[in-house]
This record gives sequence, C-alpha cells and structure tokens, in this order.
Amino acid sequence: MITIQSALTGLLLGGLYALMAAGVSVTWGVLRIINLAHFGMILISAYLTFQLASDWGLDPILTLAVTVPAMFVAGGALQWAYDRLGISELNSLLASFGLLIVIVQLVSNVWSADFQRMSAAVNPYATASVGIGRLVFPVTTLLAFLVAVAFIAAAELVLRRTFAGRALRAFAEDRTIASAFGIDHRRLGIVLGGLSGATAAVAGMLFALANALTPATAFEWFGIVFAVVILGGIGHLTGTLAAGLLVGALSGVVSVLLSPAAAPFVLFTAIVLALLLRPRGLFVRAAQ
Amino acid sequence: MMARGLVGIGLAVAALSTLSLYRETLGFPIAYLALLTTALFWVTQATSWNILSGYSGYFSFGQAAYVGVGAYTTAVLFGRHEWNFYLTVLIAAGLCAVLALGMGLLAFRLRSLRGEIFALLTLAVPFILAALARINGSIDGGQGIIVAIPDFPAALGRFQDFLYLITLLVAGIAVAVAFVMAHSRSGWALASIRDAEDVAEALGVATFRHKLWALVASAVIGGVGGSVFALQIGFVTVDSVFSLTVPLFVIVMSVLGGRTHWFGPVLGAVLVVLLQDRLSAMALLGWQPVILGAVLIVMILVAPEGLYVRVRNLWPRSRGSKTPPADLSEVDEQLSVVDDSVLVECRDLSKHFGGVRAVEGLSLQIRAGELVGLVGPNGSGKTTLVNLLAGSLRPTRGSIHIAGRDTTGLPPHRIAHVGVARTYQIPRPFASMTVRDNVAMAVLFGREPRRLAHARRLAAGHLAMVGLDHLGDAYPSALNLHQRQLLEMARALATSPKLLLLDEALAGLNPAEIDNAVEVVRRIHASGVCVVIVEHLLRVVRALATRVVVLDRGSCLADGDPETVLSDPAVVRAYLGKRAHA
Repeated sequence: MITIQSALTGLLLGGLYALMAAGVSVTWGVLRIINLAHFGMILISAYLTFQLASDWGLDPILTLAVTVPAMFVAGGALQWAYDRLGISELNSLLASFGLLIVIVQLVSNVWSADFQRMSAAVNPYATASVGIGRLVFPVTTLLAFLVAVAFIAAAELVLRRTFAGRALRAFAEDRTIASAFGIDHRRLGIVLGGLSGATAAVAGMLFALANALTPATAFEWFGIVFAVVILGGIGHLTGTLAAGLLVGALSGVVSVLLSPAAAPFVLFTAIVLALLLRPRGLFVRAAQ
Repeated sequence: MMARGLVGIGLAVAALSTLSLYRETLGFPIAYLALLTTALFWVTQATSWNILSGYSGYFSFGQAAYVGVGAYTTAVLFGRHEWNFYLTVLIAAGLCAVLALGMGLLAFRLRSLRGEIFALLTLAVPFILAALARINGSIDGGQGIIVAIPDFPAALGRFQDFLYLITLLVAGIAVAVAFVMAHSRSGWALASIRDAEDVAEALGVATFRHKLWALVASAVIGGVGGSVFALQIGFVTVDSVFSLTVPLFVIVMSVLGGRTHWFGPVLGAVLVVLLQDRLSAMALLGWQPVILGAVLIVMILVAPEGLYVRVRNLWPRSRGSKTPPADLSEVDEQLSVVDDSVLVECRDLSKHFGGVRAVEGLSLQIRAGELVGLVGPNGSGKTTLVNLLAGSLRPTRGSIHIAGRDTTGLPPHRIAHVGVARTYQIPRPFASMTVRDNVAMAVLFGREPRRLAHARRLAAGHLAMVGLDHLGDAYPSALNLHQRQLLEMARALATSPKLLLLDEALAGLNPAEIDNAVEVVRRIHASGVCVVIVEHLLRVVRALATRVVVLDRGSCLADGDPETVLSDPAVVRAYLGKRAHA
C-alpha cells in the first residue's frame, strides 16, 4: 500500500517536472536554443511567489498575476537576445549555463542560501490534503499535477489545431523553408520564449506552494528536468509529460523501497540506461 | 616543434618549483604558495576537461566525477585505511580510467550520439557517484573523511611546500600530455571530429578509438588531480568534490583561455583563480559566481575561440606562410594502365529504411580501370549505394567486396583504409583547418600514412591536381562552392584511394565550372583511380563515363556503354516519364 501511495505521489510530482521541462523542450525543439536559464526563471518565480505572498498576504496562487507577465516578458526578451546574437545550439547551452549560475547566485545574495518557506498563515494549501479511499494526496501535489496536465494538453491542442501551432511545427521541421513561406521567426521566437517563461512562473509558484526554497534547488532541477526533456523527446510535449510522470513515479518508489538518498542513484542510472537504449527519447519512434 | 615545446613545459615546471625549493632565499610568502597550489589544481582540471571537450567538441558536465573518484579513493584508502598515499594516486588513476572506459564504450557506441546527449550523460554520472558515496557507509555515508598529511622528505620543507610541488608535478604532466596530444595524430583526429565527425570517419580516422582515448586520458588526469586535491582540502565531503562548481570552473576557464589550444585552459585557470583571489580580498566572494557566469556569457558571445587564440591572431604570423613545394613525384607515379581486375563486387545488395526499399537485390561488378556514371531519377538509390559502398550505411542484406576484401559491415574508416574515398553532395570541409591541412589530414590518416611535413608536401600536390594550389593557406570559409567541391576531391584523393565515389560533385556549378570539374575528374581517372560518379547532367556522364549504370527504385535498370544505355527506351522512360517516350 505504501508503495502504491508513494508511486502515485511520485507520479503526481512528476507532473511538475514535466511542466518545468515543457518550456525547455519547446524552445529547444523549435528554436534550437537550449535554455538552461529557464531553471533560473523558475527559481525567481518561486521566490517571487514566496515574497509577494509573505509581504502582502496575497494568496500564493494570485501572485501569478505578477509573476506570469513578468516571466513572459523575461522569457521573450531572452529569446529575442539569443536570436539577435545569432547564437548556435551548443553555445546557447554554455551561455545559458553561465546565466543560470548568475541567477542562482543573485537569488542567493538577495534571499540568502537558507531554506525559506511560506508560513502556514499565507499558504493554506501546504497542509491540506485529499483522501481517495485509503490513499491520501497533498493538495499541492494534486494541484501541480492537474495544472501541468492541463497546460501540456492545451499546448498540444494549440500545436495541432491552430495556425500558429502549425507554423511552429513547420518551423521546427525546417526553419529555412518555413521562413520562405512567410513565418516570421523573430516574432515566433519571442512569443514562444514568453510562453515558456509563463510556464516557468506557474511551475515556480507550484513548487513554492509545497516546498521550502533554497537557491541550489535550481541545480537539482537542472539534472532531473534536463533528463526529462531528453527522455521525452526534444520538442515532444506529450512525451515530456510521460517522461516526467515516469521519472516522478520511479523516484517515489525508490525513495520508499530503498531510501530517499538512494533515489538519485537509481534515477540517474535509469536515465543513463534509457538514453543509451533510446537516444532520441523514450516515446519517439525511431526515424529512418 | 614537439621536443622544443616539451622542454619549454619542463623549464616552466622547474622554474615554478624553485619558488618552493628556494622559498626562504627568495622570500616568497607561503600564502602565495597556497594560492599557486589552487591555481595549479585548476590548471590540471581545466586541461583534463579540455583534452576531451575542447579538442573533440564533446562537451562534458562531468568533470566532478573524476575529482570525486580521485579524492575519495585517496580519502578512503589513505585517509581511513592508511595505505601508501602514492599507491592511492595510482589506484585513483586506474579507477578513473575504468570509469571513462565504461562511459566511452557505452556512449560512443551510439551511432546517433549527439553532443547534447553526451553532455547530459556526463551530467548524470557525478549525481550517481555522489549518491553512491552518500549512501555507502564504507565510502562516506554522509560523514566526510579526514585526510591526514602523508610522509614526505623533510628536505622539501613544510607540508604546503610538498603539496605545492606535487600539485605542480601533476599539472606539469597534465599540460605535457595535452601538448603532446595536440601535436600528434590524435590532436588532428580530435580536431577533425570537432569539425565534421562522419567526414573524418570516412577519410580513415578511427573516430571511436580517438574519442575513447581522449576520454580516458582526460579522466586519468582529472582523477590524479582529484587524488592530490584530497590532501589539499584535508577533509573530503560529497559536496566539496562532487559539486557543480567543478564543471562550471573548468568550462569557464577553458572557454576564457581558448578551447582549441593546449595553452588556453592554463591561461584561463590562472586568470580565474587570480580573479577569485582579488574578489575574496575585496570581500566580494558572494559575487564570484555572478562574475564567472558573466565571463562565460560574454566570452561565448564575443570571443568563443578564447583569449589565447584571439591574442595570438593579433600578431601577424612571424614565420610567414611556408608554402611547401608541391610534391608531385608520388602523385604522378601511378601509370594509367587499363586495369581489368574486379575492384568492387556487390552481391544481392539491399537496404531498407522501414518500409522503403532504397536498394533492392542489386548485384554489380566494377572493374579497376572504369569510370562509372551512376544515374537514375531522384530516390532511385544512388546516394544510398554510395553510402553503402563507403560504409556510412550497413546493408540490410547482401555483401560488398572491395579489392578482394569483404567490407560488409566494416566501419567507414576501415573501408577507407581498404581504398575507398568519397565526396559529399554538400561539401563539408574541416572549418578549423587551412585548405592544405584539410588535405594533409587525409594523408595523415589515409591508406599510406605519412609524417606531417611529408603529408603537407603531398597535400600541395593533390591541390595542384584539382587546381587549388594557390589557395592552400586559405580557410575553407573563403572558398566558393566550386572550390569547395574541388577541395572535397583533393581531400578524397589524398587518402590514396583505389575507388573514388563522387556524390553529385558537380551540383550547382555553372557551365564553365562544370567543364573545369570534368577535366579534373578525367585527370583523376587517368592517374589510375577507379571513379564512380553520381550525376544528373547527362552531358557530363556522356563526356566522362566509360560505363553507365542506371538505377531505378533501387535496382539496376540498365548497364553498359554510355551511348547504348542513354538511348535505351526503358531508361528514357524512367527519367522522363512514360508519355515522353510515346
């Protein structure tokens, strides 16, 4: 029973990994930019949620009114800058690694390296839980899962059904041809960067609801979420969701069966094996 | 060149060692010695990273794995079980070599390994090892390990002196290894892998082996450095050795100094450690990662080649451009005797991509003296056949024999050594090498390898053969399409092939350039090389080929002398559609 409970909890937590990964995956797949600074944006959003809720007594979820527009602008500006500087795929990995380090240290200078958590007074969600039969789920985890699934489903619909979505897929397929057919890659990049910034804001809020914050968390995300992106198949949203859930469930089960300290060991070993067997991602059919 | 450089590195190490050996005479403050020790540790680590990631372009986030394995080997065996310290350094080197071999054998076997996937794999390894150390009580168990001071000759002075000298020795060896690699075949191989890996493989570079050895060399150096680092920090914890700061530092250092040159990481490491020292003196340590991150961003944007290369390029080359005299003797020695022996034999060859049958049941013989025009409509399997012959693809069924050897399933570089060379539809020169070195590269790794100086002379001869001898010192980016295609041919020739596969080598040229290229191909054929040319322009095929093979939907539609084949009704129908013939 405990195993099932923890597998399910892990699965639900995996939704958050998937949401964090979605932004990285889409900008990588479509714009050929590996934006590690995305984890920095999630971190800033989490701290903003903490700060705004604590200072103004705002409901943490309402802080999205501030963080989403802010991160939309930040994400859009970042993609605009990448585009203007004409940076290559591998160099974007390095430059954004530098940016991530800068952000983490700045966050640490502003908010200190200590763990910080919203007090129960402003964050009613942290202690609430929902029981389903003999299984109990924290509200924060359920919320994170539902939001992640909703976001990814919506994004997938947009990609499949709308003109903008088709333009995006065409662009991911072959940017030169797509440009020749009148797709404005600069505007596309800014909007896409902005949207992925917005998901960072939501992911940051959801993380802050359930966890104590410390700047170094961003590096933990770097390891796990980067793996989710690749396992899901770069640019494949449903694959990302599935990979996130899988990774979450696995780490949940291992934490209970062995020990929480063993989780990274099993998890990363599994990731390495998965990558070696399916380097294009778990859910991507092998191309020719 | 090589000997002079090594003597230079040796002298530098000797000079630096006097700072400790004659510290009191020189009045050198011991605090600076500690700073230098830190700098030398990072010189070792950055050099270790650069040997794989800088030279070959496979970026690693896993430097902490080697530091961690090295430090924990010494911490556990020497610190806890009191084994001989030097023995633990050797064991650390061995463990890192095993780790690297394991990683390399797994990762580099992947045919579709992308740089980002490799980066992620290397990112995961320190996480795994750190978790292993944390949960395993016989390694660490979350407590940390105290490392005592080993015995050392009293003549060396204090422990700080000993630490400095041993770190200096390790750094000196690391830099010497990086220097030797950069100036040997290995350095050329890794540079060609960085520029265009599958082209390098097709030219005869054993890419897998070179990557693997670079990874092992990098790991051993990193591990030995980590082992000595355990003495330096005195107390080894998971967080102190497996942290992400390690890859951050080595990447910043190498990018700052210059990734493609052996001296880049040395320069970068010294600069970063000095910067760090100044910052802590100004009580700005909290800003240090900010500044390092900013340095990384700025360098990537402004000077991705690094400071050393940037500064060096400011100086005009003092030695001038030494254009070696063309060595035509060996190029011309092959006589154009019509050779009738069978060079290529394909039996029942098939290649399927999922449901698509690109080549189906093809049997074909090519004789050594022939110049075969391979024609057919788009999608008829011409390029697939070229890829099969060169080994870039493995056949689904059937066999290929070239020059009497079964080459089915051999890796491309082995097939290159049998005597097959190819060009690509879209020319893919090695961007970081001059035109001459592009060709010399092919001689170095070709069927008849030569020393570099000799290879460059031969290269000049091959360039003369295709009419590019005046552009030997230029970089490929300065060439137009026609010249790049000629460079492709010269490079292929330089492997001294028996069979040359030209895949649409004339696509996109204007009529005058085509005439020139046709002349070049004819000259190559006359020098005794069997040529297979894939071409859509029937005028070219008619002018050149001694025999024409027409492919249609993966099978041979017609085969024979150009006039007969090209007027065959079936061929015309395949090319122009049924109505045209009617």
